[in-house]
Amino acid sequence: MTAVEDTAATAPTSTLRVRGPRAVLAFAIACAMCLLGLTGSAAAASPSRASPASVSPASASPATASTRSAAGKTLRVAMDSSGVDTLNPFVSYFNGSLDLFGAIYPTLTVIEKNGKPGPYLATSWSLSKDHRTWTFKIRPGLKWSDGKPLTAADAAWTFHLIMTNDVAATANGTLVSHFESVSAPNPTTLVITTNQPQADLTYVSVPIYGIPIVPEHIWKSHVKGLKSYQNDSFPVVGYGPWTLTGYKTDQYATLDANKSFVFGAPKYGHLIERLYKTSDSAVAALRSGQLDYISGVNATEFTSLRRTSGVHTVQAAGNGWNGLELNPGARTRGGKPIGTGNPALKDPVLRRAIALSIDKKTLVGKVLDGYGTVGQGYLPPAWSQWVWKPPPGQEQKYDPHKANQLLDKAGYRRGRGGIRVDPKNGKPLVLRLGIHSDESEDAAFAPYIAGWLGDIGIKVVIHPMSMSALNSDLGKGDWDMLIDAWTSGPDPTYMLGIQSCTTLPNEQGTGGNTDSFFCDPRYEKLFGQQQSQFDPEQRARIVGKMQKILYDADVDIMFYNKRQKIATSSKVTGMNTGTPDAQGFYPAQSSFWSYLDAAPTAQRHYSAGGIGLWFGIAAAVIVLGAGAAIIRHRAGVDDRE
Amino acid sequence: MSAAQAVAAQEAAVAVPPRFAGARRFVRAFAHRPSGVTGVVLLVLFILLALVSPLFIGPDQLDVTKADGPLLAAPSGHYPLGTDQAGRNVLLLLVWGSRESLRVGVIATALTVVFGAGVGIVAGHYGGFVGRALMHVTDWFIALPSLPLAISLAAVLGQGETSITIAIAVTSWTATARLIRAQTLAVEARPFVERARALGAGDWQIMVRQVLPNVTPLILVSSTLTVAGALLSEATLTFLGLGNPASITWGEMLNNAFFNGAFTAGAWWYVLPPGLAILVVVLGFTLTGRAVEHVLDPRTEDRR
Repeated sequence: MTAVEDTAATAPTSTLRVRGPRAVLAFAIACAMCLLGLTGSAAAASPSRASPASVSPASASPATASTRSAAGKTLRVAMDSSGVDTLNPFVSYFNGSLDLFGAIYPTLTVIEKNGKPGPYLATSWSLSKDHRTWTFKIRPGLKWSDGKPLTAADAAWTFHLIMTNDVAATANGTLVSHFESVSAPNPTTLVITTNQPQADLTYVSVPIYGIPIVPEHIWKSHVKGLKSYQNDSFPVVGYGPWTLTGYKTDQYATLDANKSFVFGAPKYGHLIERLYKTSDSAVAALRSGQLDYISGVNATEFTSLRRTSGVHTVQAAGNGWNGLELNPGARTRGGKPIGTGNPALKDPVLRRAIALSIDKKTLVGKVLDGYGTVGQGYLPPAWSQWVWKPPPGQEQKYDPHKANQLLDKAGYRRGRGGIRVDPKNGKPLVLRLGIHSDESEDAAFAPYIAGWLGDIGIKVVIHPMSMSALNSDLGKGDWDMLIDAWTSGPDPTYMLGIQSCTTLPNEQGTGGNTDSFFCDPRYEKLFGQQQSQFDPEQRARIVGKMQKILYDADVDIMFYNKRQKIATSSKVTGMNTGTPDAQGFYPAQSSFWSYLDAAPTAQRHYSAGGIGLWFGIAAAVIVLGAGAAIIRHRAGVDDRE
Repeated sequence: MSAAQAVAAQEAAVAVPPRFAGARRFVRAFAHRPSGVTGVVLLVLFILLALVSPLFIGPDQLDVTKADGPLLAAPSGHYPLGTDQAGRNVLLLLVWGSRESLRVGVIATALTVVFGAGVGIVAGHYGGFVGRALMHVTDWFIALPSLPLAISLAAVLGQGETSITIAIAVTSWTATARLIRAQTLAVEARPFVERARALGAGDWQIMVRQVLPNVTPLILVSSTLTVAGALLSEATLTFLGLGNPASITWGEMLNNAFFNGAFTAGAWWYVLPPGLAILVVVLGFTLTGRAVEHVLDPRTEDRR
């Protein structure tokens, strides 16, 4: 219920290649121009300008300017790299937007630092005997940022709109799919009736992962034309730890603290979320003291930041997985086969052989630099109540020998070039591997998978695709293997739901948000059961069984659960919430609490640049400069001629 | 050009068999241009390296699943240029990368030159409506910004070397076409073409037998310079992530280094070598091309 598709969240990074990372593009173009200048008429070349562009943050930001004027009062954080698709919470699904909504709109409950839902707008709640009617007590006396009262009617209006309006249901419609009615009999009472018992109702409206509640008096007039409403009249009327005072597309969002916030005012007066399309430029900003907080740097950067003074690094429990999806035979809800998937993958033996041929430990070690755990169960380790591990003796361990044996026995003979042949149609086993062209991690995986599958006689053809192209191929079933990644909130319903038969596309081949065309009647039955099971332990047992079915089906092969890698300037304290475990890993982090709890420290900040890096750049500049000088000299000779 | 040929023809008649005279003169003149010789030496070195590399580099060194070096380690005795994030030897990657980079550059250039020269000769020969139409198309392509066009083309055609090669060819044939058309016009104004026509030579005969041999030196110069541009475009496009992540080219190495945080990690040994290799090879092609240009065009030679 509270999962957010990681791939969806990175959508803008895909458009990125076309429109996105100005810094990268600018750098590349600068380099290209510089070198092109060298080859042609050297007049255009100015190499000394090109190189530093690679390390300096994208541009001199207004963020920097405003911090100087209000020194120590502004918290500057890196926005999720997905950015903001729209500020309209009914249709937005990028992680960057969701973080903002968590900061500026209230929700019924909040996921507390222990991972359980606690009071926010609702101070308490009760459930009727038939487990279908929920009554929430709403906190009295709250006001929207424009001074109008914030009551249960606003919450009822928001839910009701999502239930009845298709456009409003775009982002969070699935969360209210079992709602029968919502009403606010008085300003401090909200009553929700569901058409079947729903165990996860307290997770439906939580910051970031759930439904944000909007002021009825503002939004009433925007219901018509909701789809195109941008919600960009600043300051945006809301209620939360922060108020949104400005947003520059693909650049930054500015927020002011809500001094009368119910959980206490934020310790900083202002918050700036700045978008960096490459984490390297964010890291450079952090090092030079222009940025205070990055959540989600890559492994190499993290290793080097750990050695940097003035920067504090922590790892938090992984709330997602990266893995490989195999097309088990794409079909519609009615069972009509669709797409161009290789039919060989319908064979569970082949899928198991692929699962056994992948050395996940090496992936964790080499791609992730060890900052993660080998993936087993479908639900991530951050939410320990749902974690499932295969029983001893049933683990699928890296065993290419066994994989080869399985394939030999099943009749996949080696043909020309050592590539196995599908016994059913006599064609060589050549599988396409779709990867996100905008994910450096995908590109890093791909050669490993190609190598390991080559060892068991399967040829892999890598297809780097933009996010949207990949998703469209996925929906049409035009794929063999895909690399995918998802992150999940504390409630597993949404994550489990994308493996359900009900998410297959309809007979026209459209709709549905199936993850990999998995559909199993046993799983389906358990899925219904877990949703109406109120006893957490019982529910965990059912969820475990479902994960076993997924594990044995080899349709989603989990590679690893990577830990969230966070770097904070030592000028800030209190951003990492919860208590670290024995190995020093924090629980899953939420921007809601991190930004609220952040406080300035009195310490002075020392920035340290990588000496090697500067040495490298200096050398590059010298060499390029020398080259340019030679060419320029030659060009001069030409001119004289 | 015309003067060169006239002089060459006269001298050939006097001394050596005409077939080799031109070549000898060319080599002699070229050898007197130190920058050109430097360029040729650089190129020969890199091409030789690219050709012999399969003798000592195999999948054991290049396959990420088989590499066993330390991850992103600084240069050492065993790894003269350090290692990448998967523990592969950067020196070997660099050598192997020259194969793919040069191949894409040369193939793209061949496409460029064949297409550009074809359009140029046809436009110059026929003139009139056909010529104007072809030149308008050429102008239209010149007006398109080439980098965004190449990026969109590579995105539409699907990623990988093939589409990058095509994208480079599509965006760089225009200069050659204009150049060749101008030369074709000049050549066709000469009396020997008129004579051929009077003797009943058809369009094809004139284009292939009379015009083509006379524009070939120009094509040669243009292609040498185009290779340099194509190599750069290849590196640019793969750096921007439009290449095949499993292949090893210099652009791909830069892409891996940049997007996996080698800059932050200060791993200069991973960033600098592919960049310098591109610089050196492009320089080699440019120096050679310029030298050839001067040798073939004695007018610039005389004024020196």
